[in-house]
Formats: sequence, C-alpha cells, structure tokens
Amino acid sequence: MTDAQRRWLPVPVLATVLVLWELAVRQSGQFMLYPYPSGVLAAAVRTIGDGSLLAATSGSLYRVLLGFVIGGMVGVPLGVLMGSLQSVNRAMSPVIDSLRSIAPIAWIPMAMLWLGIRGKAALFIVAYAAFFPFVVNTIQAVRLVDRNLVNAARALGAGRALLARAVILPSSLPVILTGARISLAFAWGAIIAAELAMGIKVSAGGSAAVGLGQLMVSTLYIRRDVNGLVLYMIVVGVISLLIDVAMRRLQRHLTPWR
Amino acid sequence: MSGVQRAANSLPVVRPASQAWKRYPRRCEFVLALAVIVGVWQVVSVAVHNQTLVPPPLQVLDAWISLSGAELPGDILASLVHLGAGYGLGIATGLALALLAARFLFFEAVIDPVVEILRPISAIAWIPIAILMFGIGRGVPVFLIFYAAIFPVFINTLAGIRQVDPHLIQAAQMLGASRRLIVTHVVLPAALPIILAGARLSLGVAWMAMVAGELTGADSGLGWRIFWYQEFFAMDKVMAVILTIGVLGYILDTLIRWLQARITRWSPDDSETGR
Repeated sequence: MTDAQRRWLPVPVLATVLVLWELAVRQSGQFMLYPYPSGVLAAAVRTIGDGSLLAATSGSLYRVLLGFVIGGMVGVPLGVLMGSLQSVNRAMSPVIDSLRSIAPIAWIPMAMLWLGIRGKAALFIVAYAAFFPFVVNTIQAVRLVDRNLVNAARALGAGRALLARAVILPSSLPVILTGARISLAFAWGAIIAAELAMGIKVSAGGSAAVGLGQLMVSTLYIRRDVNGLVLYMIVVGVISLLIDVAMRRLQRHLTPWR
Repeated sequence: MSGVQRAANSLPVVRPASQAWKRYPRRCEFVLALAVIVGVWQVVSVAVHNQTLVPPPLQVLDAWISLSGAELPGDILASLVHLGAGYGLGIATGLALALLAARFLFFEAVIDPVVEILRPISAIAWIPIAILMFGIGRGVPVFLIFYAAIFPVFINTLAGIRQVDPHLIQAAQMLGASRRLIVTHVVLPAALPIILAGARLSLGVAWMAMVAGELTGADSGLGWRIFWYQEFFAMDKVMAVILTIGVLGYILDTLIRWLQARITRWSPDDSETGR
C-alpha cells in the first residue's frame, strides 16, 4: 500500500459508514430513537444559529482556563518545592498520591455545598483535576536539570538570576509545558463530567444551562434530542483535539530547542 | 575549588539524606504530613462550626466505621464488578485491535483514523448517549470504563510492537524460528513493558470513568452512593465514601505497579513515561 493510498483510505471508509448509517435510520423510520448524520447536521445549524451552543461552549471553556491557571499557580510552586527538597517530597508525595486517586468528580457534592451550583463548584473540580499533572511534571522537571550544567555555569561565575534564566528555566520548561498540556486535557474532561453531574442533580430546579454539560443534560432529559447529544459529543471531541494541537504548537513555539 | 563546591551545595537540588534521617522509617514524614492535614481539617471544621459544611475528621471516621459494617462492602463490590467487567473487556479489545493492526497493514489503515477520531471524545462525553442506550443501571459505568480503557492499551501495544529491535527478529529468523515462535518469544516479551504501562494508564482513566459513570447513570457503586447520601445531607458519609474512592484507587494503582514490576523484572521502570 502506498503512502497516498494510506492517507486517503479513511475518506471513503468514513463516507461509507456515514451513508450506511443514514440509510439504516431512514429504513427503520425511528427518527426519535436513533441519531443520524443529516439530523446531527441540522442540530448543528440550529444550535449555532440561536447561539446556545456558542454560549454554553464559551462558558465551559472560560471555567476550564480559569481552573487551569489556578491549578498551575498552586501546582508549579509545590512541584518546585517537592523536586528540590527531599524531605518535603517524602512528606508530601504519599499525600499527593492518595489525593490524586480521588477522582475529581467525586468531590462534586462537597464542591456544590461549599461553592454553590452555578459556576464555582465546577471551577473547583477543574482546578483539582489540573493541579496534579502540574505537580508531577514540575517535580520531574526540577529533577531533570543537569547538575553538570549548573556547576559549569556556577564555575563560569553566573549569578542566581542568570542561572535561573539561562540554565534552569530552559531545561525544565519543556517538561513543565508537557504537564500543562496534560493538565488542560484533564481539565476539559473534568468540566464536562462536573457539569453533567451538576446538571443531573439540579435540572429539577430548572436552572438555566450555563455550560456544555448542563446543555447535554437538558437535551437528554427535557428536549430528548438524540441528534443534539451526538453533536455536543462531537463538539467535546473537537475541542479536546484543538486544545491538544494548540498546546503542542505553544510548546514548540516556547521551547524551540527541544 | 572549594568555592565551586559551596556554590553547588547552596543550590536547591536533591541532597542525600543525612545519617540521622536514615534511621527513621520513611513513614515518619508521611504520618507527620497526614497529621498536619487532619489537624488543619479539624481546625477548619471547628472554625466553620457546621457539621454539614465541614464534617470533622473524627465524625467522618465514625461514619466510615459504621458504613463499613453496613452498605460500604456492597458498594465497593458493585464498583469492582463494574470495573472488572469494563476494564477486562476494554483491555482485551484494545489488545486484540492492536495485534490485528500490527499484523495487517490494511486493518491498521482503517482502524487508525477511527481511533484518532474517537480518542479525543472522552468517555465522559458519552455519558448522555450511554444513559440513552443502556438506561440507568450497570450498563452506563461498564460501557464508559470499557471505552476509556481501550485507547491507552491500543496505542501502547502498537507502539510497543513497533519499537521491537528488528535485529532481534532477524536473529530469530536466521536461527530458524517460526513466525509464531517469533511473536510469542521475541516480539511480545520485548513489547511487554510498554503494553503494561498502557494497561496501567488504562486503569487510571477507567477508574475516573467509573466514578463519573456511577455518579450520573448507575444505581449502584461508590459513585452512586455519594449522591445517595447527599440526598440526606449526610456529608460525613459523603466524605467517607469519597475517601474510600481515594484509598481504593491508590491500592489498585499500587497493585498494578507491583504486578508490572514483577512481570517485567528485567526491564528498567518506564511506567512513568507512559504516553
């Protein structure tokens, strides 16, 4: 199989699947029960047209970015401490490990109680999810700094500021950025889970949809629109793909020496 | 010379433990850290003075003890059944797909784009569809765990088989080994450390998917139980279940790490590199 064949093979495969899917649903006539490609397209046109998709997506994205920044602001300094001081590391790493095994979404009831059901509870879950990859990778980053380079720079008379800027930062930044990429991916997964769980819990109160997760819940339980559900699922996937691509670009841009 | 030495010592980099520390068991520091956390928790709960908002540690312990004589074992069992079914199916599917993709070029060309399209759609995003497909019950968490577990194992298995040193395979061929013998005695052992690292990653995401699935679309298990107690505002019990999830997740991860180290004793530990 040539390279060109390999590259273009997915297109006919995907097209065939979509056409068969559409035909199968049309054949069965159960338009309320099964999603179908043209219905998903129609749902996309409708929700983009009335702005509900954009509003929900930007609401979710805003909280993801905020939680990501909070997670990084707590996680990176702690990672630096744990990476450089052995006693801090020995004391904290079991604590971090056991907290890390608590799935972020499990905190939802407490977060809802502490911070309310609108946006802040989801924000807590996101920050919690983003925190751990930051810590783990920063610890690694600090450990990976080459002692010989540090000693060489010292011997050549570099001061603290120059050492940090010219040696420590360049060697640890790539690893920290990898942590940031994983964090953002985790955060995106966590916000959807948090909003879904909150939406299911609170939808009886008839609260307005504030994020993509809540929109999914109202689509599932109130509007019963299967095509909408598939659309939102695709949106979630596309955004996590975009996040990954953007973070990789940023990583290449910020650390071209890697 | 001594100037360089001193300068190096003043840097915040890993220092060897002093002799005095070596005599202490390492648990000492952990116990200390735990004590500090519980202490802070206690102080906060006294300050807030609201047993629903911040249940004090002792009350949570009390709730945990009373629960472990009542519903907790059943919930843990239900969760482990979800996890076992979903994870087992997911690992088997991921492994089988990767082996097929490694063996047949055409299959790989078809399955690879499918995986690349589905992978960014996290298990979480499937929750509404899963509820629609299976209804509230065991189906939702099992499906989510299954879906989440496939990808890391698939990707690592394929990568693991790809990175097997071709010289090893050629050497075996030259010595007259059959195709099957090469697969079972050269390729799989060489790929095993990476496959197991994938299995561990899978377990991590499967655990998260389990909690999310049980919270939203199940009628049993630890995740479901959290919301159940929340209905009664029994936050001490909620906290007890949350902590149980943490401890159990930690135990499972330790278990699979131990298994990993045991099965591939010859290999350097690259479980952390994972993806």
